[in-house]
Amino acid sequence: MKNNNYFYKTLLLTAFALLVGACTKLEEKLGSDISREQAQDLFDASALLQAAYDALQLPLQDQSRYWAAQQHTSDETMGPTRGPDWDDNGIWRVLHNHTWDAEHDFLTATFNDLSRIVFSTTNVLQFNPTPSQAAQARLLRAFAVLALADGWNQVPFREAGENLLDAPRVLSSAEALDYIVSEIEDIMEDLPEGPAHLGNKDAAKVMLMKVYLNRGTFSNRQSPEFSSQDMQQVVSIADEIINSGKYALASNYYDNFSRNNSDISTELIFTNQNLGGNRGGNIQSRWFCGLHYNQRPSGWNGFCTIAEVYDLFEEGDVRFSAEYEGVTDVSGLRVGFLAGQQFDEEGNALKDRNGLNLSFTKDVKLTELGTNLEITGVRVMKYPPDLITQDPANNDLVIYRYADVLLMKAEAMARTGDFGSALAIVNEIRSARNASNLSNLELDDLIDERARELYWEGHRRTDLIRFGKFLQPWSEKPASGPERLIFPIPARALAVNPNLTQNPGY
Amino acid sequence: MKRAFTKWTFLLVIMFLTTASLFGQRVISGTVTDAESGESLVGANVLVRGFDGIGTSTDFDGNYSLEVPQGAQTLLFTFIGYADKEVALSVSNLLNVSLESGTQLEELVVIGYGSVRKSDLTGSVSTVRGEDFNVGIMPSPDQLIQGKVAGVQVINNSGAPGAGTTVRIRGNNSIRAGNQPLYVVDGVPLDGRSGRPGLNSGDLGASADANPLNFINPADIESMEVLKDASATAIYGSRGANGVIIINTKKGKTGEPKIDFSTSVGASNILKRYDVLDGNQYRSALEQYNLRDDNGNLLGDEGGNVDAMDAILRTGITQNYNFSISGGNSNGNYRLSAGYMDQEGIIIGSNFKKYTASLNGSYKFLKSKRLGVDFNLMTAHTDEQLAPITSNAGFQGSLIGQALQWNPTISLLNANDPTGFRIDRGSTTVNPLAMSNAYNDNANVTTILGSISPSFKISNNLEYRMIYSLNSSMGNRRSSVQPWINIQGIQDRGLANLASNQLITQQFTHTLNYNKRLGGGVNFNGVIGYEYMSFANRGFGLTAQDFIFTDIDMTDALNQIERSGSTINSFRDPLIELQSYFARTNFNIRNKYLITATVRADGSSKFGENNKYGIFPSVAAAWNIQEESFFASNFIDQLKFRAGWGQVGNQEFPAGAAQERFAFSPGGVSLVNVANPNLQWESQNTVNLGLDFAFNNYKWFGSIEVFRQVTTNLLFNFEAIQPAPATRFFDNLDGEIINTGLEIDLNYMLAENSRFRWSIGGNLAFLKNELQNYFGPAVETGALFGQGLTGALSQRLENGQPLNSFYLREHLGIGENGQSILTDDGDSFFHLGQPNPTVLMGVTSNMSYDNLTFGFSFNGAFGHQIYNNTANSVLPIGNLGTRNIDANLIGGSVQEARSNAIRASSRYLESGNFVRLANVSLGYNFGSIGEDIKNVRLSLIGQNLLLFTNYSGFDPEVNTVNVSADGVPSFGIEYIPFPSARTVMLGLNFSF
Repeated sequence: MKNNNYFYKTLLLTAFALLVGACTKLEEKLGSDISREQAQDLFDASALLQAAYDALQLPLQDQSRYWAAQQHTSDETMGPTRGPDWDDNGIWRVLHNHTWDAEHDFLTATFNDLSRIVFSTTNVLQFNPTPSQAAQARLLRAFAVLALADGWNQVPFREAGENLLDAPRVLSSAEALDYIVSEIEDIMEDLPEGPAHLGNKDAAKVMLMKVYLNRGTFSNRQSPEFSSQDMQQVVSIADEIINSGKYALASNYYDNFSRNNSDISTELIFTNQNLGGNRGGNIQSRWFCGLHYNQRPSGWNGFCTIAEVYDLFEEGDVRFSAEYEGVTDVSGLRVGFLAGQQFDEEGNALKDRNGLNLSFTKDVKLTELGTNLEITGVRVMKYPPDLITQDPANNDLVIYRYADVLLMKAEAMARTGDFGSALAIVNEIRSARNASNLSNLELDDLIDERARELYWEGHRRTDLIRFGKFLQPWSEKPASGPERLIFPIPARALAVNPNLTQNPGY
Repeated sequence: MKRAFTKWTFLLVIMFLTTASLFGQRVISGTVTDAESGESLVGANVLVRGFDGIGTSTDFDGNYSLEVPQGAQTLLFTFIGYADKEVALSVSNLLNVSLESGTQLEELVVIGYGSVRKSDLTGSVSTVRGEDFNVGIMPSPDQLIQGKVAGVQVINNSGAPGAGTTVRIRGNNSIRAGNQPLYVVDGVPLDGRSGRPGLNSGDLGASADANPLNFINPADIESMEVLKDASATAIYGSRGANGVIIINTKKGKTGEPKIDFSTSVGASNILKRYDVLDGNQYRSALEQYNLRDDNGNLLGDEGGNVDAMDAILRTGITQNYNFSISGGNSNGNYRLSAGYMDQEGIIIGSNFKKYTASLNGSYKFLKSKRLGVDFNLMTAHTDEQLAPITSNAGFQGSLIGQALQWNPTISLLNANDPTGFRIDRGSTTVNPLAMSNAYNDNANVTTILGSISPSFKISNNLEYRMIYSLNSSMGNRRSSVQPWINIQGIQDRGLANLASNQLITQQFTHTLNYNKRLGGGVNFNGVIGYEYMSFANRGFGLTAQDFIFTDIDMTDALNQIERSGSTINSFRDPLIELQSYFARTNFNIRNKYLITATVRADGSSKFGENNKYGIFPSVAAAWNIQEESFFASNFIDQLKFRAGWGQVGNQEFPAGAAQERFAFSPGGVSLVNVANPNLQWESQNTVNLGLDFAFNNYKWFGSIEVFRQVTTNLLFNFEAIQPAPATRFFDNLDGEIINTGLEIDLNYMLAENSRFRWSIGGNLAFLKNELQNYFGPAVETGALFGQGLTGALSQRLENGQPLNSFYLREHLGIGENGQSILTDDGDSFFHLGQPNPTVLMGVTSNMSYDNLTFGFSFNGAFGHQIYNNTANSVLPIGNLGTRNIDANLIGGSVQEARSNAIRASSRYLESGNFVRLANVSLGYNFGSIGEDIKNVRLSLIGQNLLLFTNYSGFDPEVNTVNVSADGVPSFGIEYIPFPSARTVMLGLNFSF
């Protein structure tokens, strides 16, 4: 019996020891995700480059990111609180009246999403890209760097392969612009000629024009100075694009923004592609944000423009209001600015949910309190809604287009004193848009023309700062302090990267 | 690292084995049993009279074997809770003894990888036995102990049948890692997730999670133990920080085979309603506000008087049948059970059916009976029909919001519409009755938990045991929404979702358990063990839109879809592997001094490369003062002081969080996570002091405990340092979450005689929660949902504040102009409350008079606030003229303007204090009917009969489990949940 016991003891202890010894090394496998090595084996850089293009969708197309930072802080766009609706903890109002702080969710998210483009594009470079792919990735990266320098004046930056747990260095906006110029010089040869939804040579050229046009602003936003050298660069690059003969002003202004704009527009230089019903960003927010619930398509009854911008237009200007085939005949909806009584496709006058006529008014308050709170504010329908494929819609997001090139050239000429040539360019555009010719031109006419031509395209904040008008009062916004020329570094970004410093005044 | 453990394990093993010795001339052996039940008594002392220091204690099966010296005459058998018994030695070497239980039966308490006598406990462990469970409709086990254990809060996340619960043991201990306790069923630690796939249908939001414990039939549960302090939970190491709930299932008992049968039928109705306007009140409100259309008619008035909530509510009937066969003999026991439950939710279109079957047994083999095999097989199938009620719906709401908002003057029906319902296409107001009909959502989950546990008694003192278990939970879900409903994105398109999920958990556990009576009245018990667990999770989902033919279940005919109208996805989480070494020693010195020490080394595949193993130690001691000779009191039966310290961990963060990962997207791949080789568990240090007492012949008994838990290395998905691939990554932050508390448990036997018995018991806990020494940026959470609240957050984690402190504008009242007055015009935010109760209480009383029994239990929570997101965004004054409003908005001294903004503010922060009459039961024991039918009992049960609260919503105990975009859980926010029910139930039990 005793011997038996010892036998069992020995047996079991041996078994136990074996089991203890035969332990796992606890190496984690990745499930449905893959490692860097596998990714590098499986994918060439094209897949990562596609991911980098896709990384533009959220920050550029959504209503709550870069577009909000550029538009809601300007006089072109307002997100009024409509009584019970659209309070959203005041997140839209503080953009309009310039009282945002370093914890603003949308500004924080924009900063993060633009930085993520810097990351995704850098990541492409680690996947043995072809020269063309590397050039496209670097162009997208330059684009994000430019947007960050414009908004925040500081750009956290990493090179490929840096440890992501370490705080990256930070480029000042002057360093950022120099970097963009040298990058574009470096990659120009390898960039593709097109199409517009790829980072192409002409997109790089427009980016360079933006750098030269704004360089004097970035270095001194309170009183911008424009060197004639920079302005000449703008003009000569513009001439390269114009003389290439690839672009022309569109015969129908709204073709630039329609659901098949990539096929029919003659102005598109750089876009973010949407494949309707398949993949794309939130381009439909451009029309949902303003459309009333009772319109078709039913919208969110939110954003509008204010009187200052509405009053810039003359009757007949197609950019102001027009019918658009495939939209007006189908849903009754016009394009351009929606003011006054709205109708359905059969011509019946629509009503709001309070039983009032759905007749949008020019006057609007940042906080609407009256019974007419659903109908105040002129709505903006720049992108003709895609009524065929939705979620995502098929309209490509326009980032750079030909009319902007012409207007930047005109501005550079005006800033070097050549108002005559500038006037000719402006009138070329105006006549294409069925607007009367201007007889003479001042600088202020140029920013107004930029509003009429480029409204709601995400340029306005930068334009207002360059023209020294960003701090001025406008409807529902008092004059604002100079700190507002730059956004605050997000509190959470500041907490994790000691190389960032908070911008003055925040 | 690994080598060190192996070496250390061997040392312990050798230490255990070298104590074998032999002396004396005669070996007496036998079994010690309970005189009443015949169950064997584990750990009973066997002493030789007149030979101090010679003795032993019984093993796991009540057996003992003692070498007695020459001249020995008498053996003394003692066991706490039983009368001592002296037996004279005879010629025979076999001596079986049965002990009479004293007034208080000594319980065995399961403490993880073993069990101890209750009097030997050193940590904070509460046991709830079957007879003390809550009764009524109990789809899952966690609800059985709601209000029964001091310091444990159990919140039903939703009134939906089969929905999950939020269980907090001694408060919130973690920011980002889970706060749910670890569940262990018969020695098998669970994954803690449900196999039911989630569903997120665009604007409809995500439905509440299913309860991961749904697979257990509460009727199969014998008792549950709650391990609260670290000295008790440290044996579970990196999974112990939120406490451990051990579920012990019923086992067969020695004796004739027995059949038990129970059935119940119940009817449930809504407990509490939101006060909204009826048709006439609505018209008078329109008149008061003078809201008229162009023709001078009242705006939106169609003349009716409709209660939309009534249209979607019903009396839910629940049926429950349980059946079991059990029995056993000296070689083993078995129990076979089956259960069926069919619960109708109180909202139309919600139903929960549950089928369970289980078989367990325990048998001994070999002539020596040293080999034992325990087995347990639990199977369950749940079949759920879900109503479109979600916790994060957009402004078109979910079913409850749609019903609350419905204009009470408008009929829900329209004979002219092909659907028969009033549907305003193009309008954003959704008809709840139509929605309910347009929505079809079915989920079923099949769960199998099988375990087999062979054991071998190497010697009388040493036992080896192995457990292998496999737990598989497979869930399928099919849902569809008809295209005729006016929901943005679904209208004219339809929507179908199919999803499937599979969770598989495997476990190998090896333990060696050593029991030995050492010299000098010292009993030693030691356990060492090795455990390996793996957790796998995978699934797929498919969404399709743009159907041509919708008269059939759209999920059955996906072939009609164009590829562009569908999305597919699938995933497999990284396999989580957990490898552990653990040991526990208990010393019992003359029943006076008790010392327990445990240590567990946990290695997890989830941890970063540099922190693969964590070590979690604990020590605790107890002093049974009443055993001291100087403490001779006839009045005091028990006075035991306990003190313990321990360190436990929390590793509830997603698999793969420490590793660099690339994820696929259509046609591409992107880096989604940054490697963090230092990522590790969150650790928690706990100090616990306790006093157990009983006096006046156990008429009074209870305990008092104080504790302080400090959580450090806070796991958090922190802001990534841009430029980075994801916006966040998991890291361990500096900072401390401190939970302190006092718990009191007190029971009193008011009367006890042969005919009448009346006992009352109560528990009370005072809890405090605070984040300290955290100097990072404030973490925002508490996402609010609905119109006007897009992106609005209501809670903040900040140094010096409780977790999930409400951070809001301060609402001062409604001004003369009808607009809200806010401090600083609403530009400033303040910490204005917090959702963690500071006082929890429970009271239970049972009485019996002859065959009549009566019992009730109350529970309550105090000192916390709830954010009423429903009142904030679903029923604001601005709805007047189009939709319904909160009735309390009318008739105040100041008329609130219709244009007053929907803003998150302290206006919607309400006290969450409540007391609930959770249970009332009245029963009659008929005894036997005829020869065969025994133990006939009829009972009438009321559940949730009374609720005392000032909270204006459905139920202050409803927690809407929302997460903000950053994944920080919110707590204490109510948003149009499935309402709670009140139930009356009739039950019948009998056995053969």
